[in-house]
Amino acid sequence: MVKNNHQEDANSLRNHVKVSEITSHDRRSNLTPTKRTIATPSKFNSQIALSPSLLESRIASPRKHKLGISSPKKTPAKKRIAPSAAKPSLVDPDFNPLEETQRILRLRISQVNKPPVISGYEKERKQLYDLMKRTATTGESNSLLLIGPRGCGKSMLIQRVVEDLHSDVAVKENVQLVQLTGLLQTDDKLALREITRQLKLENTVGDRVFRSFAETLQFLIEALKKGDQASKPIVFILDEFDLFAQHKNQTLLYNLFDVSQSAQTPICVIGVTCRLDVVELLEKRVKSRFSHRQLYLFNKLTLSQYRDLCRSYLTLCSDFPDQDFADTWNKNIQCLLGEVSVKDILERQFSLTNDVRGLITLLTYPICQVNAAHPRVTAADVVTSFKLISTDTKSAMLHGVSTLELCLIIAMKHLTDIYDGEPFNFEMVYSEYQKFAQRRSGMQVYEKPVVMKAYEHLQTLELIKSHAGGGGAQVQKEYKLMSLLVHPSQILDAIQKYPGCPTEIKQWASQSIC
Amino acid sequence: MPKRAVNRERPTLPSRSGPKPTPKNDLEEARARLHVSAVPNCLPCREKEFSDIFGFVESKILDGTGGCMYISGVPGTGKTATVKEVLKILEAERDDGNLQDFKFVEVNGMKLTEPRQAYVEILKALTGKEATADHAANILNKMFTVPAPRSSPVVLLVDELDLLWTRKQDVMYNIFDWPTKEMARLIVLAVANTMDLPERMMIKRVASRLGLTRMTFQPYTFRQLEEIVASRLKGLQVFDSDAVQLAARKVAAVSGDARRALDICRRSTEIAESRTEDAGGEAVVSMSDINAAVEEMFCSPKILAIRNLAVQEQLFLKAVVAEFQRSGIEEADFCKLYDQHQTLCRFEGIHVPTMTELSAICYRLGSMRLLLTEPGSRDLSMRIRLNVSQDDIMYALRADIPS
Repeated sequence: MVKNNHQEDANSLRNHVKVSEITSHDRRSNLTPTKRTIATPSKFNSQIALSPSLLESRIASPRKHKLGISSPKKTPAKKRIAPSAAKPSLVDPDFNPLEETQRILRLRISQVNKPPVISGYEKERKQLYDLMKRTATTGESNSLLLIGPRGCGKSMLIQRVVEDLHSDVAVKENVQLVQLTGLLQTDDKLALREITRQLKLENTVGDRVFRSFAETLQFLIEALKKGDQASKPIVFILDEFDLFAQHKNQTLLYNLFDVSQSAQTPICVIGVTCRLDVVELLEKRVKSRFSHRQLYLFNKLTLSQYRDLCRSYLTLCSDFPDQDFADTWNKNIQCLLGEVSVKDILERQFSLTNDVRGLITLLTYPICQVNAAHPRVTAADVVTSFKLISTDTKSAMLHGVSTLELCLIIAMKHLTDIYDGEPFNFEMVYSEYQKFAQRRSGMQVYEKPVVMKAYEHLQTLELIKSHAGGGGAQVQKEYKLMSLLVHPSQILDAIQKYPGCPTEIKQWASQSIC
Repeated sequence: MPKRAVNRERPTLPSRSGPKPTPKNDLEEARARLHVSAVPNCLPCREKEFSDIFGFVESKILDGTGGCMYISGVPGTGKTATVKEVLKILEAERDDGNLQDFKFVEVNGMKLTEPRQAYVEILKALTGKEATADHAANILNKMFTVPAPRSSPVVLLVDELDLLWTRKQDVMYNIFDWPTKEMARLIVLAVANTMDLPERMMIKRVASRLGLTRMTFQPYTFRQLEEIVASRLKGLQVFDSDAVQLAARKVAAVSGDARRALDICRRSTEIAESRTEDAGGEAVVSMSDINAAVEEMFCSPKILAIRNLAVQEQLFLKAVVAEFQRSGIEEADFCKLYDQHQTLCRFEGIHVPTMTELSAICYRLGSMRLLLTEPGSRDLSMRIRLNVSQDDIMYALRADIPS
């Protein structure tokens, strides 16, 4: 039944497309309020706001080939013509607006494309841009740390600034970019090799770098020392900067900062990190050479901006080929975001994390659910998605254990209650279990080896863990001290939903102390 | 395999296209002069240290003997710059023919991958030969111990001495032992940060060879910092005189690091520029610009970070404080915090997050280092501490302060 409904939905949408072709132009003239707000992001002075037209234009051309969509009918050129010149259904008989929508939205949330345009962080962006530009034009050496929590747009900001720099030809020619990541360049040796490779110095042939570590360092220092104000400025971008601070002696950082503080090749060192206390990680002499410029980025989204952001992630923009479909879609999204349950879920997600990544996680499931049989995003999708995100993993895991294992968990819970968090061993759990099984229930009492097996299974699931000070490997497994890693509320929660849970067990679990 | 087309002697970087523009106005000129790399010809406020080191090195060169000097001081007090200035003057003297020929070799501990590479560097600077560390040590030993007539004195500057420490301290021992040899004519200037390094780190026979010729560079006082900045800005009217004093006093109170003072002044020129960009006219750096720069460089962002957290994250921090106050210990299990957080949520009337969500919150705060957490595998028994003071959290979360 449900499927039929969906198909009807799809059909009605398509019919709608055909019927309303004539009126499409009129419609476009009086845009929905949604679009008007998107067109002028400054209106809601947001920190981060997507401008869908830019997003779209990026998606439109360069990704085409990589995605393997090489059908000649879908070339970008035609697309640009489509909305203005002719009616799309005539130009492109097998153009499927739903498929196209799906593609666009999926690319948006998977962030394959360049990150969305930011209209917040104006001040920070200007400062960063000025700094890098001064390095490029006047040859001034600088260092800067970009600090902010995960998912607040640090890399995006840098990427945007670099793009801006490259748009100016005079600047682009005068700057060399070296990008390092603390996760890949795990020690100075690898980092130095990567630097010489990216700078294409003389000791590189193709992609290989010769010479030993010590020689590479001396070579690089010498190369940088030889340079003066006439040589090309280099911008070093160190992602995960805090990991570079864990290298031995912080040699790389010392040398980079030292070059930036002496009359050698002009360089600009930009560190990107999420640790607020990163400057305290630096050694005293490295810290002294660092110029202490710090840029802080924070998630400053408000709830209304968060809603607007959600809308701009879901709406199709004005250069979508099939305008009528886009209009219907957008109206539908507008309705969706007006629904109480969706509003409530957005608010809850926002109260948990106020960054864009949380929103993307929330939207992934609904967007992936869109298909011909289910042509629109419904409130139920969003609710399901939130439920999937917020499931308690441990109670979900408890649904899959056997009754005996559940009994053992309850026995452990009682032991933890009685002895106030003290660790327990297998023998204690077993006697607790026996007490219950013999006295109170008509259940089968399992023998010790069987119970032991169940106990070990719980251990491999990491629902119980060997206690820190619980003896070494010499202790027999029956007497090893363990502690329970399940919270009592999770146990009660799991037992409520456990399929076919015997009543005795339920009662036993709910008794506080037995 | 491709043949190595390596020019071993002259590694070069590509040069820029087009000439560098000259500074357009006074503010840009000031910024160029205030850059730490623009070391002046004569260092102000270090005259005494300069003459001491100069006298020491000159007398040793004239006498044809060797010796050691240990120079210490916190970073940014002009140690390396002073030594280099001394050597620059001496080299000028030598080129004029007033002084006998000598060689200057410089080794920096931080620029070596391991202590023994120091031998390689010294050998390379003296003879231009490349060798392995062991081989270089042998050659150097021979060079300094076997008497060779007509050899010229060598001045060796060892920067960041503490990094040449090895378990057997053989590198330090050799470097300080060579000057004691009759024929060596080696003058070693060792530079490090800590004053008591010889007593603390070196074994007795090394410390004894280092000798007692020591010099300490005191941190700059605010008057000296003011003078340093003023000397760089000679002839330019871009700074309010009180503004420089404010920067000097702020830095002198914290560290007495000249680099910091120069960086603050440079940053404040940028602030002044962006402030007067729209207004037009000549920009003068005022007290407020300096103040803004100081705030930017010294401020702690933690309070701002707490204010910009999501609601549940803020609540979790409150729960941590509440739990600490309840137990009286500055450390709590995640399990206890979960209970506390649940209570707070019910109290405030908002949804209680599940354990999974709450642990995600906890890790996020841990990655920002607002909390100090243990590895996540310990789960419920994970111990959590605060990396901010409890007062800071309560202050940041007070409702009456507009964020």
